[in-house]
Amino acid sequence: MEAYRIIKVKKGEKYFFRSTVNQRLQHIILATCVIVLVLTGMPLKFHDAFWAPYLYSLFGGIKVAPIIHKTAGCILMLLFVYHIIYLSCNIYIGQIAPLRKKKELSIGKLLKLLATQPLIPNPKDLKDIVQLFKYLLFLTDQKPQGDEFTWKNKFDYWAPFWGVPVLGISGLIMWNKEFATRLLPGEIINYALIAHSDEALLAALFLFIWHWYNVHFKTSVFPMGTVFITGYLSEKLMVEDHYEYYVKIMKKAGLEHEILPPNESYEREPAEGKMVREESDATSADENFKTMNPRKGESRND
Amino acid sequence: MREYKNLQTVAGMAMVILMVALFNPGEARAADVGNCLLCHKYPGLSRIGEEGKFRLFYVNESVFMNSVHAKVKCEGCHTDIQNIPHEPAKKVDCLMECHIIEPSSEQKFSHKEVAEFLSKSVHAKLDEKQNPKKYAEDMPYCLDCHDNPLFRPLSFFKRVRPGISEMALGRCRVCHKSDEFIFRFYNHVTTRLHTIRSPKNIAEMCGRCHDDPKVVARHNLTTKAVYSYGETFHGKAASYLDERIPDCLDCHVNRGKSVHQMLSHEDPLSITYETNKDAICTNIECHPKATPRLANYKVHMEFDPEQSPKEYYFKIFFITLTGGTLLPLMGIMFLDLFRRLFPNIRITRRK
Repeated sequence: MEAYRIIKVKKGEKYFFRSTVNQRLQHIILATCVIVLVLTGMPLKFHDAFWAPYLYSLFGGIKVAPIIHKTAGCILMLLFVYHIIYLSCNIYIGQIAPLRKKKELSIGKLLKLLATQPLIPNPKDLKDIVQLFKYLLFLTDQKPQGDEFTWKNKFDYWAPFWGVPVLGISGLIMWNKEFATRLLPGEIINYALIAHSDEALLAALFLFIWHWYNVHFKTSVFPMGTVFITGYLSEKLMVEDHYEYYVKIMKKAGLEHEILPPNESYEREPAEGKMVREESDATSADENFKTMNPRKGESRND
Repeated sequence: MREYKNLQTVAGMAMVILMVALFNPGEARAADVGNCLLCHKYPGLSRIGEEGKFRLFYVNESVFMNSVHAKVKCEGCHTDIQNIPHEPAKKVDCLMECHIIEPSSEQKFSHKEVAEFLSKSVHAKLDEKQNPKKYAEDMPYCLDCHDNPLFRPLSFFKRVRPGISEMALGRCRVCHKSDEFIFRFYNHVTTRLHTIRSPKNIAEMCGRCHDDPKVVARHNLTTKAVYSYGETFHGKAASYLDERIPDCLDCHVNRGKSVHQMLSHEDPLSITYETNKDAICTNIECHPKATPRLANYKVHMEFDPEQSPKEYYFKIFFITLTGGTLLPLMGIMFLDLFRRLFPNIRITRRK
């Protein structure tokens, strides 16, 4: 019965649990900081561009914008540290501690456990990418049937996971140049500037083009995806992007008869009269979700 | 209400007095004893010179009166003009003695000493053996860097801000009777307490030669200096009109010396000499807590495998990373959009 709670029904449509309030808040802080950082950083990178002075003035110009930039950078770095602690605690409490209790923990098991975390890339992702290319090149009508986290989700997760430390450390070096050059040669500032500026451009383009296309602008979501606010993904998008996981969830929930076929989500109306229990509290749904699948509890970026 | 009107009248009168004092037509007449403005006050006074360049001979009186040369008579520099109307005037020799008496020595004032400084600096036309340097014609003459600078006064009453402090002027007037003298002296002193140009302006001035690829190549310089400066945080802040940021002269001129005494980085006496340059960054106004290592930061690094090979390949790594990540993803995005917009295209027979 509890397993049903990961599916929420609103106005006859099913919504599938994706992220907890905590994770959504982490994502919103991340997104806000990144947008502020890009808006206050790019006018410096492209200081010769015609738009740069206008954008920079909006943030108070050279006297204020650097303070805003550094503040947002600090918040982002703190968030990164928090996320590492959050992730470690979740893995430890949810997965390692129970094994220890049962005295089944060995190094091999621990490594296997870490390597099979839901956001770690695996052979299924490669299979999905191959299938995606076949689909995109009109060689098949069969879309890749993604798991809970598709390769795109994993890309979106690991990009900031690499980007935040690179940008954070290089930013800290340039900010505290006196201290940094006490330990390191002066050229480190040249490297920090290159890394900071180029990685920032990569991150900005990646997020504002690729990530936003996939979560907001593609035709099935346009004009805006809401999962980053509600934490729940519609059945239509679940079928489109996470079909394998969707089937798994539906079966677990005992709704085999309501499972939509792959690729046909646009053509079929949602099944009527077969409502599952309505659940409006996302956090309690998260608790149940953990019960159902004890390994979950990581941050997601989709 | 009446008091308010009176106040308005007083304020209006004060404004008029201030305007008169600032623009000071009395002084204009004093400098223009030859009545040159009779013709040169007309904005359209111009012609095409012999070398085909457009030349404007208009003198904006109010601008001139706020410039550092306001006190110099026209004839003080244009000595060849004797009669009016006059023949085409010769180029002004900035090193001539002018009629102004330098108050500390009571000698006639001249810029000759500046020229002497310049002749011993990196910008000299002659080398140490007094032979002309290679490409001596590239070396700057006064007018290559200087126009007729405007006063840029600072107000020093309670707080420092741009402009003239009316509060401070009141104290000057206790002893000095002539407002014309007070304004000029105030401007003269406070303008020199900071730089007369903004860092951006100075960089642009140096860039006229130092960013010219031909000059850079002729003199075997390792960088287009102002371009590479512009890529640093200092340069970017300067482009946003930050006045506190160091410009070319702050690093390239030895402390306590004039820009005209700037030395080559190969001269052991120069602050930019390899073993001296740590003093540039660590001075009290910039990064006093820094160690000498900070000066090893390559301000003039360019994206060039010969000039900065390590940094070049480091940047190449990021360019590859950016291209390698984004291009395939953009490709997928494009194909995805295409697939969504034309879902019914058939290439092969499918089951």
